[in-house]
Amino acid sequence: MTTQLERPANAMPWARVSNSTRLIVILASVLPAAATYLFSLQSDWGGAALLVAVFLPLQLLSAAIAAAITRGARGIADSILTVTVYFSIILVMTLLGSVVVSLFKNGAQAMSWHFLVWDSRYVTTSTSLDYGGVGHAVVGTLIVVLLATLMAIPFALATAIYLTETRGRLRGPVRFIVQSMSGLPSIVSGLFIYAMLILSGISNRSGFMAALALALLMLPTVARMSEEVLKLVPSELRNAAVALGAPRRAAFFQVTFPAARTGLVTALLLGLARIMGETAPLLMTTFRTDVTNLNPFSGDMTLLPTYINAFVLDPHDTSQHRAWGAALVLFLLVGIIFISTRVLTGSIKLRRK
Amino acid sequence: MTIMENAGPLDQTAFGNQSPTYFGDKRIHLESRDINVWFGNHHVLNGISLAFPENSVTALIGPSGCGKSSFIRTLNRMHELIPNAGLTGEVLYNSQDIYASGTDPVTIRLGIGMVFQKPNPFPTMTIRGNVLSGLRLSNTRSRNEDELVETSLTRASIWNEVKDRLDAPAGSLSGGQQQRLCIARALALSPEVLLMDEPCSALDPGSTRRIEETIRELSESMTVVIVTHNMQQAQRISDQTAFFLAEDNEPGYVVEFGQTDALFSTPNDPRTEDYVNGRFG
Repeated sequence: MTTQLERPANAMPWARVSNSTRLIVILASVLPAAATYLFSLQSDWGGAALLVAVFLPLQLLSAAIAAAITRGARGIADSILTVTVYFSIILVMTLLGSVVVSLFKNGAQAMSWHFLVWDSRYVTTSTSLDYGGVGHAVVGTLIVVLLATLMAIPFALATAIYLTETRGRLRGPVRFIVQSMSGLPSIVSGLFIYAMLILSGISNRSGFMAALALALLMLPTVARMSEEVLKLVPSELRNAAVALGAPRRAAFFQVTFPAARTGLVTALLLGLARIMGETAPLLMTTFRTDVTNLNPFSGDMTLLPTYINAFVLDPHDTSQHRAWGAALVLFLLVGIIFISTRVLTGSIKLRRK
Repeated sequence: MTIMENAGPLDQTAFGNQSPTYFGDKRIHLESRDINVWFGNHHVLNGISLAFPENSVTALIGPSGCGKSSFIRTLNRMHELIPNAGLTGEVLYNSQDIYASGTDPVTIRLGIGMVFQKPNPFPTMTIRGNVLSGLRLSNTRSRNEDELVETSLTRASIWNEVKDRLDAPAGSLSGGQQQRLCIARALALSPEVLLMDEPCSALDPGSTRRIEETIRELSESMTVVIVTHNMQQAQRISDQTAFFLAEDNEPGYVVEFGQTDALFSTPNDPRTEDYVNGRFG
């Protein structure tokens, strides 16, 4: 038996950096920013122009020089790529972050408990924000999206299983159609339901019609993604199951499906992401209403996207605030649904003690 | 048939009549008759006729690409899972052709288990779950699952290493342990025949030795067919050996089949002699 050693604080020899290297790296990171600041005092250039035309070239140059000093010529390309990647990350994260920040800033003014639960009965453009809310749209979104998901998932999964687990003759055409359908403009699915079922008199506008249009959009996204995920399950596992005397159904449900579970949940979430914010198909299939309607099979239903669409077109301040508020609610709703789906299906493990 | 000519001292008893059911004094458990294999239009195996006596170990040796693995997969109908696979000939299991129409491949695979080249435990299941997976997958019942887990893991000589962590995920085991777990998983269904496709090629010498010991023990009550690249391994563990060969772009065939001792010490065919003495391959 060997004795166990206590881990020393400096048990990471690869992290040892000489002081001169550290100084050069700090200088290479600080100098371009300082130079850009001094330049900005002398000129009237805008922030974006400064960033791209002054800061980025200076930073690339200083990083290249620093790399040449510390690592020699081979480090130059590496340092240029590193700077480009970090610059791009920060740029994109700033853009995305500013969307989220403005959503919270503008949406917060409308936010209150009653905004979440009340519907918009008796609300006009001049009604103050103390009155009315998006409760009816939240309920509508939840009902319609749930219906669409329940309709789309079985078909999407069946399509993916057909494409990966069988040797059906129609796999080529099916894959082609699914692929082209995933590029379908969302308004077309709304028009399709409108023309086929509403205009022809088979059904009136309703939440269910909206759910059908959304299911049509969701199906190809989930089917394609599920197919890719199922293809990633190693064939050794399928072979092992079959060699153990498993019928193909058992091999799929007990081996392939569990192995692909996390990926299949991702496919479901991508499908949800595709439809939660869709507006165009809803405009064709269900009119907006100001009252709460819990029955998807009769009467119009408001969803958050159609609520936003209606109020953002109105110039009054209160309407604008309501639209921002509804957008924030939709944003949070999507987040809650995503995280809870991950937790419920076990692909994020909550810490258990 | 070539194998009759090369079967050595066994040929009279083994292939003396049209339908041999005994090989020496052992009953023929599994037998292939004139097996030809194609992938698409590519002919990869030509006229393989071999007999596997019960409670014995048969090694299939030969250079890479000569069709040993393809052949072993025809013995439990795994071959047909490959798209474009083709086959003619018969495989008799307890004197019944497993390719006869109306035969359920699932039943065949329950009687003829298989261990693959790469350890492939189910990653989503625990060690215990892997051992019992064959039962679940084939919807078979067992009276005492705990006992079955223990006997299967013991027969695969891995019980002592895992008995305290049966609920750990199978992926937490080392490669050699995973392969022995796969053997235990196959044994849990109590197959009569066990096919092993280079089961030790991904393993270290220690794990290889333990698996070889396991195979010797299993052969007291089971018929084992093992593909191996390792001629020392074939000599150590097998009773019979078949030597496969394929010339460039020609289908593979059996050069010589006979008792392992005889085949390695006094081969009938010069090509066998060259191969077992390491002159090519």
